[in-house]
Amino acid sequence: MSAQPTGELPYVDTKPQGSADFYFATNATFRFILQRLGRAGWVSYLEELGRAYFAPVNDRWRAGGLPAVARYWRAFFAAEPGAKVEVAETPDRVEVVVHGCPAIKHLRAGGREIVREYCQHCYFLGNARAEAAGLTMRLAGGNGSCRHTFAVATGSTTPQDINQIKEAGL
Amino acid sequence: MIGCYDFCGHYEWTFGWMERVGGHALVRDYWNEAINHDAQRHARGLIEREGIPGMLKYWGHTLAEESPSLGFAISHREDVFRIDFHDCPSRGFLLRNGLKNYRDYCDHCMGWTGPMLRESGYVIDHEHNHRGQCWWEMRPAAATGGHAPPGSVAGKKDVRLRPEWQDPRAKFDRYVKATDPDAKQL
Repeated sequence: MSAQPTGELPYVDTKPQGSADFYFATNATFRFILQRLGRAGWVSYLEELGRAYFAPVNDRWRAGGLPAVARYWRAFFAAEPGAKVEVAETPDRVEVVVHGCPAIKHLRAGGREIVREYCQHCYFLGNARAEAAGLTMRLAGGNGSCRHTFAVATGSTTPQDINQIKEAGL
Repeated sequence: MIGCYDFCGHYEWTFGWMERVGGHALVRDYWNEAINHDAQRHARGLIEREGIPGMLKYWGHTLAEESPSLGFAISHREDVFRIDFHDCPSRGFLLRNGLKNYRDYCDHCMGWTGPMLRESGYVIDHEHNHRGQCWWEMRPAAATGGHAPPGSVAGKKDVRLRPEWQDPRAKFDRYVKATDPDAKQL
């Protein structure tokens, strides 16, 4: 992704990309919550984060539909250092194809023990945000490359199979 | 995905969530266990091994990355390491974006650096005004005395010389030879 962040992002910094070392803190936060509050607590954290902190994005998705989803993810990954991502838009879905996850890449480069559930966070967070916008989100792959699919909620979407999300690791 | 671009935003939100779920003790444990002992273990290792030169390596690198516009100034001598934040990249992000989910975001810095410095044998003198401006002096734990006079360590880079520091509306938290986030003197 080469585009600079745009007004599609709800919270804007003065620099064009974030500091990759913050991925260490996200990984450590997951480990802490999983150890202290268990899996249910971690899932609850992600879902509440998705509905509350990301509410401005969810509102834009609800108002702007799938084109707004595609614009957001293009801007999002342009601001993440080292991301290799394509965002494909069709009339009924948006596919976010992650060829190189910036977080997994940096955690590996830093020699960090990656929480094995790490990649599931994209589903629990992403689906909570999608549902708030009248959409669904499904995830396949993980551990460095994956595919996120956002679609309009129709009631017939196949439930997410958590086993389709790979465990993360070095 | 949780990104790093707006890290300070969801980090701050997380403090508020943790306090609602597990109270103040959980937030304190989070800063110490997850940030000090896990995420920032590279900083701990450097400072444990090298002391003040290790602080220079860690903060010199991380602040240049977080704040390319250099809203900070580092001063150091054999007996003290000092940082003056004239425009904190972290607090500034929250102020610019109107984000507040936790009662005092600035506590997090002492929350993880305090225990880290204590474990390496240092104490911290520190003051912040909740407006993105603060200063830190880190000295060996055996050092005596209170806050050094303005300008005595950082010269003209001392944030306390700014006109904004004297604004009567600013609310200060002050730490003296401290390593505990709750040891603030209001």
